[in-house]
Amino acid sequence: MIKNYFKIAWRNLWKNKVFSSINIVGLAIGMASTILIMLWIQNEVSHDRFHKNLERIYTLNNRDTFNGELWVWNTTPKILAPTLKEEFPEVEEFTRVNSSPFLFAVGDMRIDVEGKFVDPGFLKLFSFPFKEGNINTALNETYNIVITESLAKKLFGNDEAMGKVIKIVGRDNFTVTGVVKDLPNNTSLDFEFLLPWSYMKVLGWDDEWWGNNSIKSFVMLKPGVKQDVFDSKIKNVTKEHSKNTGDLSTIEVFTQPLKDTWLYSKSENGKYVGSRIETVKLFAIVAVFILLIACINFMNLSTARSEKRAREVGIRKVVGARRESLMFQFISESIILSFLAFVIAIGIVELSLPGFNRLVAKDLFVDYGHVVYWLVALLFILFTGILAGSYPAFYLSAFKPIKVLKQTFKSGNTLVTPRKVLVVLQFTFAIALIICTVTIKKQIEHAQSRDSGYNKDNLVYMHIVGDIDKHYSVIRNELLNSGAAISVTKSMSPITTRYSDGWGWEWDGSNEGDSKTDFVRMASDADFVKTMGANLVAGRDIDIYKYSTDSTAMVLNETAVKIMRLEHPIGASVRADGETWRVVGVIKDFIYESPYDKVQQLAIMGPKSWFGVLHLKLNPANAISKNIGLAEAIFKKYNPEFPFDFEFVDTDYALKFQEEKRIGTLAGLFSALTIFISCLGLFGLASYMAENRIKEIGVRKVLGASVANITTLLSLDFLKLVVISLLIASPIAWWAMENWLQKYTYRIDMEWWVFALAGGVSILVSMITVSYQSIRAAIANPVKSLRTE
Amino acid sequence: MLLELKNIYKWVNSGGRRFYLLKDAHLQVEEGEFISIMGPSGSGKSTLLNVIGMLDDFNEGEYNFLDEPVHQLKEKHKANLYKEYIGFVFQAYHLIDELTVYENIETPLLYKKISGSERKALVADMLDRFNIVGKKDLFPSQLSGGQQQLVGIARALITKPKLILADEPTGNLNSKQGEEIMELFKQLNEEGVTIIQVTHSEKNAEYGSRIINLLDGTVIEK
Repeated sequence: MIKNYFKIAWRNLWKNKVFSSINIVGLAIGMASTILIMLWIQNEVSHDRFHKNLERIYTLNNRDTFNGELWVWNTTPKILAPTLKEEFPEVEEFTRVNSSPFLFAVGDMRIDVEGKFVDPGFLKLFSFPFKEGNINTALNETYNIVITESLAKKLFGNDEAMGKVIKIVGRDNFTVTGVVKDLPNNTSLDFEFLLPWSYMKVLGWDDEWWGNNSIKSFVMLKPGVKQDVFDSKIKNVTKEHSKNTGDLSTIEVFTQPLKDTWLYSKSENGKYVGSRIETVKLFAIVAVFILLIACINFMNLSTARSEKRAREVGIRKVVGARRESLMFQFISESIILSFLAFVIAIGIVELSLPGFNRLVAKDLFVDYGHVVYWLVALLFILFTGILAGSYPAFYLSAFKPIKVLKQTFKSGNTLVTPRKVLVVLQFTFAIALIICTVTIKKQIEHAQSRDSGYNKDNLVYMHIVGDIDKHYSVIRNELLNSGAAISVTKSMSPITTRYSDGWGWEWDGSNEGDSKTDFVRMASDADFVKTMGANLVAGRDIDIYKYSTDSTAMVLNETAVKIMRLEHPIGASVRADGETWRVVGVIKDFIYESPYDKVQQLAIMGPKSWFGVLHLKLNPANAISKNIGLAEAIFKKYNPEFPFDFEFVDTDYALKFQEEKRIGTLAGLFSALTIFISCLGLFGLASYMAENRIKEIGVRKVLGASVANITTLLSLDFLKLVVISLLIASPIAWWAMENWLQKYTYRIDMEWWVFALAGGVSILVSMITVSYQSIRAAIANPVKSLRTE
Repeated sequence: MLLELKNIYKWVNSGGRRFYLLKDAHLQVEEGEFISIMGPSGSGKSTLLNVIGMLDDFNEGEYNFLDEPVHQLKEKHKANLYKEYIGFVFQAYHLIDELTVYENIETPLLYKKISGSERKALVADMLDRFNIVGKKDLFPSQLSGGQQQLVGIARALITKPKLILADEPTGNLNSKQGEEIMELFKQLNEEGVTIIQVTHSEKNAEYGSRIINLLDGTVIEK
């Protein structure tokens, strides 16, 4: 029986090669897109969930009110986790995590690596299996180091890594006491090495200050401890401990389950509510719709060809087939097709995975060795086959044998209603996606064209490492004298980001409420305005080399002046971080963080604060390569241990648009695919229509209709459907995009021409698709078509 | 008695008027008969045959098939009845184009849940009987009309029906092929199969044991 169905299915496929390939290719593209998205979703939802003790692991978080709003954040004081372990028996293990890059040296080899300082509990809390070494002791000694398998390979080749010594340039030597298997692609704790926390103490980087929130903390609770009970116990721990320190805190401490941290990182009113989970849901919807659209194609094409299958249905019924067995036949046929499409889809997935991975910045792959993947694939084939085959099976198996065998059977000349609905559904989705793509692109352009408030040209920065600080004044002079740079400034962070912010500041005229105003900190030794190309609106720039008292000078941005209600900012004094600062200048707001948000109050502080980064304004008179060459020689001379590493500010700034660009590219890709799949279906449907109406066309031509008349006649039916789709898609897309734009303070308005454009594009594309068949039918010689009757 | 039609009416409404396809039709068929239905175009021959075959409904009257009151049966029950007892032969043969001769003949058995080996034997018998063993792997399009109709009859017979309904079985054939088909029907009838055929040809009608004439949906028995 099944063999018989397979035979029929196969022969049908073979006989109608064009239809079959349209069907299978459409389905394959849909399946491939869905598989890619499913791989992405699988990676997202499994993030950080592979740890054996997952249910008992929590991150520590803080909650407090600033600028009148309830904020939460997931960095904590370094002392918090050990304190909890000491005071609360519920805590079984804890670990702190502080990321840091280092320059490693083994023999002559030097490489930059990213890694983390952690407590010994790290290895027991999390499940990063060891290839070699003992999990219980690996991080117990200060000069131990744990590295990953691939770092071991990079450093020691195929030699044994255990027991070897790695030198951290400018610091100390470490012995490898553990090799961790390479990390899975779904962990947010990314590292190439682990160093014991005790070495933080050696470096003087550890502190017990309850007001310094700079590292991440994790705890593993004992089995059976309830989160809410534990939360209520630890709520006031920061407040209590800072009671007698003169640095009063109003912070509440709470936990978040590790399994939620990846998907729920955005906070609203002091609670974690979403973020990545929203994208996951959005993508899931897109995946379902793309598959649905491919299935709709399949349904449309199958039912459009019903006339050809009707006779077979009639015969089978007369010789004894029951309706169920016919439905079974058609569904198994579509499962076969679905299987073929799946094979092609896997090919497409394999070919497009590298590109897709680049697009979503992930390392996704299909694990062919995993039985679950095969089961999912099987289910996926069955599901798609049944979904795509259900409607045709239902429709075809309902034919009455008497009608189809009398040879009077003709399915309607026009599109049957369900088919119309299906086409409208396809195009609604396609048009909505086009509108979204255009809107996202407009929003990105809008933010890109926003004045950043400083000049990114010829501006580079580098981190102050090794001996740079020691020889800074010589380096500065040589850079300026050699003509490599026209201006050099030390600062706290790159101008494209913030490293630090703080509150509790007081100034002339500040009141109680101002103590919870949060200021972003930056720093400068001299020439900040000149180097960055910022705009000074009042006073002067900080310059420690000209004014020796400028170590406590301060430059505010305009927003800060407004928030502080300073009528005469120049000369005002600000008490912050245990110092009194004197405002010497005011600059225009510039974008240091998100180009979509309004600029927050910022203070650039004199050398009494701290420096981490060096900015160079390269000499515009020289070629960039020449400037870089000169600079490199100078840095090599005074800081020979470290490689010369620098970043262009403009490339850095462009990264701010990466996430939005990614979403924009994905939306564009999906809308192109949807349009393509929909048009494949439309092409099939149009060719069927043209074939079916061949006699009508012949008669019309004999009666004097022109080619244009007939093309219009045939295309109009489809045009109507696309217009209806536009009417349905527009409000949906408008609503979705309005919602999306709400995220951004600095945003565009939805404009009518976007809808017109999307409508125009889809009408144009669909008409080109349909008109090929229409024109072909219209220019055919009527004598031929009429003779066949 | 195999079947009995009493006061059968069938009509369609069009433009406010009622057109009768069958009007007070009577028919009694005994097992083993070979009946030819004749009449001019549009007299309702095919309609009558389809009503007998339970492929088509009627509006009024009684129809008993093997003592089952067909007019009271549900669609599914009726379908089971005709699948069990009736074989159909069509003017246009109605073979499935995508299946070979062998597979076409086998198809009815698939729906009867007959084991593979038994199917093989039954189909082999049929092929042998109609002398088409050499053609079993060909597709319908590769056969002549007469050969296609042979396959059609073989397919109708394979489930061993009590009754064969043939709607102008020779209509698409030349006279020699037609004659062979009629000879075959006669032979089958002699083996005990009841046959009802619709035909235009006086000559073909003569093969039957009884002729029924239809005019405007009414039976005029001679």
